Amino acid sequence: MSGKLRMRHNPFDVLGEYLVIVAIALLVVVTIFVEPKFLSPGNMTNIMRQFGPLIMVALGMTFVIIGGFIDLSVAGIMSLVAVVTLSLIEPLGQVPALLIGLLLGAACGYLNSILILLSGAITQAEGLFITYGMSVLYGGVALVYTGGVTDHMSYISRDYSLFTAIGTGTVGIFSVSFLIFLVALAALYVFHEKTYLGRTINLTGGNKTAARLSGISINKSITIIYTISGLMTALGAIVLFARVTTASPVLGKNFETNAILSVVVGGTSLSGGNGNVIRTVLGTMLVILLANCMNLLGVSVFMQNVMKGAILILAIWLDNRKEH
Amino acid sequence: MKIQVKNTFFRKVGNHKASIAVLAMLVAMLFFPTNFYTRFNIFDLLNSASILLVLAFGITFVIIAGGIDLSIGGIMVVSGIVTIKLMEFTPIWVSIVGGLCSGVLIGLVNGYLVVYQKTEPFIITLGMGLLLTGLAQQLTDAHPIAAPNPKFMLMANGFLFGVIPHLVLIMLATLFIAYSVLRYTQFGRNCYAIGGDYEVAEYSGISVRKIKTMTYVICGFAAALGGILLSSKLNSGSSVYGETTALTVISAVVVGGTSLAGGMGGIPQTAMGLLVFGIMENAMNMLRINPYIQIILRGVVIVTILCLDSYSRKKKREDV
Repeated sequence: MSGKLRMRHNPFDVLGEYLVIVAIALLVVVTIFVEPKFLSPGNMTNIMRQFGPLIMVALGMTFVIIGGFIDLSVAGIMSLVAVVTLSLIEPLGQVPALLIGLLLGAACGYLNSILILLSGAITQAEGLFITYGMSVLYGGVALVYTGGVTDHMSYISRDYSLFTAIGTGTVGIFSVSFLIFLVALAALYVFHEKTYLGRTINLTGGNKTAARLSGISINKSITIIYTISGLMTALGAIVLFARVTTASPVLGKNFETNAILSVVVGGTSLSGGNGNVIRTVLGTMLVILLANCMNLLGVSVFMQNVMKGAILILAIWLDNRKEH
Repeated sequence: MKIQVKNTFFRKVGNHKASIAVLAMLVAMLFFPTNFYTRFNIFDLLNSASILLVLAFGITFVIIAGGIDLSIGGIMVVSGIVTIKLMEFTPIWVSIVGGLCSGVLIGLVNGYLVVYQKTEPFIITLGMGLLLTGLAQQLTDAHPIAAPNPKFMLMANGFLFGVIPHLVLIMLATLFIAYSVLRYTQFGRNCYAIGGDYEVAEYSGISVRKIKTMTYVICGFAAALGGILLSSKLNSGSSVYGETTALTVISAVVVGGTSLAGGMGGIPQTAMGLLVFGIMENAMNMLRINPYIQIILRGVVIVTILCLDSYSRKKKREDV
């Protein structure tokens, strides 16, 4: 928690730290006044379900951004994992398919890190473009694998109840995907805050040279951040296709931008070295709530994109003002 | 000693990797019985690459000065749509000027945010691209809108002497202007200086902020020009074309040899880099390669070239 170590004098800075929570509260209050339907149980479950896929990808992306890089390949990985997992339920059964899907995501992330390490890319821009190329590649593989056809879960003759549960099941008032998210969050939080490897990620993102000179293996942290990102993306892909019951080879489109948006809005600095998973949860909440509120208020999807872009610019701008 | 010789040889090859790739593909196509070497196909190849080339020339300025602009796809579609919208109540030339102005304005905003507010260029322009795509969707309701004046279409679809497409001529004119500005003017040389070392350039008395902002304005202008040409070519404005434009163009620029680190490269290199992708796509279509496999191959080429670019920079760091 590096934030606590800094001295704060300017009230604007303190506000900036909690700006997301203020924004979320404001948004909820305004929407409840304008559209009371917001509080209906149906809408709450809806929000929880929408939360599922994006938060998984955003949690993975958090580590990559804290480590001073960026991962654009999540769109490609998502599509690839979804189509492969769905196609394997029929021949292998649902549990092996799920495991292979997760493994495939982690493997794709690992491959990204290998390429980045081999080429010696150290800047965020280099990482961004290499992972973009990988995203094109993974997306292409997904297209070749399916021949461009969208696969439906209902065509499967074998038991796929596990995926139905992940997609639409509920335990009490919580959706199953929400519970998966809580488990993943707890695991990642402990990994980040309490383990040696988790702590080295911040140092790598803060200053690579200093980290190397103090005996930290930055290669190891780069490998782990991309592998986590790949794994979490795979989890997000599975949650998403289980909910929509189809897997198209372009399923992951725009997830990279939304994940980056969630992380940045949460207050994790893009310059690396700073931030945590809790902030990302708040950021994702804001992004999802914003979309939900605008839907309820009848704002067009197109204007929502404009708002998203504007919020991304604003968040980075505010973040920068804090630093200089 | 031998290693030394080998090293310089590889470095020389590395500097011309795009030209070598173009040459290799051109030679390879000689051996396949296709319509590749016909006048029609060569002009078609250039014609379809022209719009991206115009965009690439603009962004080359930004990259050489050490920046990046991921919003060019957004600028492209927005300015095309603005031009068509304006055409409903103004003459063609006024609406074209209006479209170009919109590009310049967005470039100015990008430049202000990146240079004067010191924000991370690629993420701020990513946000700008998202915003502009949304704006384009809102303006057109996500449907293609047709240009009201049929003369507008002639701009990009016409032929000089019935042979040379107008698009290619406009592209060559931009090539010439961009090349001259970057190579022979003080402004152009200063771009290299800023990209090479921002602080040294500042201490040498170059007004770094103004010049760096100017590169974003040029990029916005070029993207707008590309967008207007695209609208003219298709005789419509649509929000769907810009999505992958920025990353495709930037990959091509890097493939040509303009490094993302800034301070090196140039317009001819950019042209070569874009031709690599243009010829590759054309040749793969001629050879009837499955379009999905083409996507994979494009990914492989982008990753390979970008990794090589990073690797050469790593080597340079180690040499120093």
